[in-house]
Amino acid sequence: MILRLKKYKKRFSLFIVTSFICLNAAFAAAQITVEPNPKVLIRTKIKPNKVWKAKKKIENESSIPAEKSIAVDANVNVSLCVETGNLKINGWERNEVRALVTQGSQVGFKVSQKNKQSNKPEWIWVLGFDPSKITESGADECLSGGEIEIDVPRNATINVKSRESETTIGSIGKVTVENVGGDIFLNHIARGIEATTHQGDVMVGNSSGAMTLQSTTGNIVVFDASPSEIGDIFKAKTNNGAIILKDIEQRQMDVGSNSGSISFTGEFADGGQYNFNTLNGSITLSIPQNSSSKISASYGYGAFNSEIPLQNLVKSPASKTQNLTGQIGKGDATLNLTTYSGALLIKKQ
Amino acid sequence: MKEKCIEIGTIQAFLDGELAPDIVEKVTHHIVICDSCAISLAQAQEESAFAFSALEQEFNTLVPTNRLWVKINDSIEKQGKRKSVWHSAFAFVSSFQNISNQTIAAFASLLILVGLFTSVLILRNNDNSDYVAEKMPDKQSAVKQISNPETTNRSFVNPPQFLPENKGVENLSAVNLRNDKKEFRAVKPTFISKENNSLPVKTNSRNTKIENPKVSWEVKPRTTNENLAGEESYIKTIATLTETVNSRKDEVLKPSARFAFEKDLAIVDDAIKKMKSEVKKNPKNEGAKQVLFSSYQNKIGLLNSVAEKTELMASLQ
Repeated sequence: MILRLKKYKKRFSLFIVTSFICLNAAFAAAQITVEPNPKVLIRTKIKPNKVWKAKKKIENESSIPAEKSIAVDANVNVSLCVETGNLKINGWERNEVRALVTQGSQVGFKVSQKNKQSNKPEWIWVLGFDPSKITESGADECLSGGEIEIDVPRNATINVKSRESETTIGSIGKVTVENVGGDIFLNHIARGIEATTHQGDVMVGNSSGAMTLQSTTGNIVVFDASPSEIGDIFKAKTNNGAIILKDIEQRQMDVGSNSGSISFTGEFADGGQYNFNTLNGSITLSIPQNSSSKISASYGYGAFNSEIPLQNLVKSPASKTQNLTGQIGKGDATLNLTTYSGALLIKKQ
Repeated sequence: MKEKCIEIGTIQAFLDGELAPDIVEKVTHHIVICDSCAISLAQAQEESAFAFSALEQEFNTLVPTNRLWVKINDSIEKQGKRKSVWHSAFAFVSSFQNISNQTIAAFASLLILVGLFTSVLILRNNDNSDYVAEKMPDKQSAVKQISNPETTNRSFVNPPQFLPENKGVENLSAVNLRNDKKEFRAVKPTFISKENNSLPVKTNSRNTKIENPKVSWEVKPRTTNENLAGEESYIKTIATLTETVNSRKDEVLKPSARFAFEKDLAIVDDAIKKMKSEVKKNPKNEGAKQVLFSSYQNKIGLLNSVAEKTELMASLQ
């Protein structure tokens, strides 16, 4: 045994020496600096926040509200941002934009683009100062005040970004509005809506076109919505709130809520595709008895009930998560219902 | 006329036999007729005799030195024949010192290292006793799904894992597994008893034997890196968004909004976790898949809302 050990001792020491030499060589190789390929650049850090320079707010020091108007094209595009204040935008018959701000900033217009035929502005910015009088670059462009009222041509398109503002827009062509906080009320919008509020409700009535409505914390209520063109989609999504829909005529709907119930009252159009999903809440559909749709329902910890009898009903084997398919009438529309924890209910209208 | 006497150097050369034959003849003739040169020759002969006798021992040592060299050479030859692999390797590595290019030397050394490790790994892998599936008889079903796992008294802590995504578990047998080594990976199983599964007892895998053939081998589908089709992209998107949101949420969300966000996130995460486990239990559960994907979309929407809010606030600055 000792002899064997002695024999292997020699080999082992040789192995150690060899390994040591190899490691040294590897270390030497590691010392050889190789210039990295400058084209390969991997960014592991997120760019730091941009340091924003505080802009100077131009206050209206007069007791009379700031008011301005400008003649524009009928299809004018109006952009503005609002720091604070209740914003009301209303469509009127004149080809003119009028802005009024009470107890807050000044008001002015900046023309970004003119119509080549009519030579009238077709894209304007409503600013918190008058650019013809104040030329300094650090002036705050956002409007602020107690009440901000803007009248625009009926066919106008509005783009609004606001920090804290209750926004009410009615009787115009198209709206894109995004609020950090505050409710959004939209009525009689003709050609489409994109409305997002991070804290507040979104309410839409009597409007047409493609619609994308989002609320991070708040409810979404829509009634009497219809497409203005074939293929217009309706999307409504809230993280924490209920979604109530009544008489929506768009043929494609994607409706979802993380924590909140979904209620739909209306008819399904033939060939339409309707997706409703909620994680923690119920989905209630009130539809006519003579509706025609194929139904696919997936639910985790919940239940499925239908007051309207389903044909060709297929249920997955009993497990925690259920998958169910069935048909009402001829099955012209397609209806997908998904809930993780909540009830699915189809009610007769 | 008397010839000129011979120089002592020539006499010495005569004695040493270093002169040409014609000169030797001349020298011989001269010595015969010249007494002084004959005396000089005699003296030189005496001196040479004395010197050779004195140095005889030294001169004789030449013979054993030659023998020694022969011996040494023989020994080297023998040693060369008996030289081990390690000696060769050592000599090979030592020769690197002469290589001027450091990069080549380093590369060669690395190759040797890799070779060494590979051989060690091969030697280890040749030990088939660690792989239970390899030892199973061909006709014996290697994988059996248990309808009632409660009946088993043993389960794997590290169950054998399977890669195939499109193969049903029931199609797997020892033969198939052996023929399809690329898609099969067995790990050393360690047993714990169900009665005391809180304390896993690691057994020596070499001594692991299938003692009870009635024991059902609970083989679950792969648990790591096994995602549904399209799930990977959801996970990547969520990871990216989470990184962005986590760096900003404190400055963007007010306490109330933060509370709502965290609550919603918890709900979504809970749904994802439960649905994922549900899908793992039964990959054919379409309902669970639907809810899982819906949950992923909701999580992306939730994270996206914070990112959008950040962007909006930045644009309003």
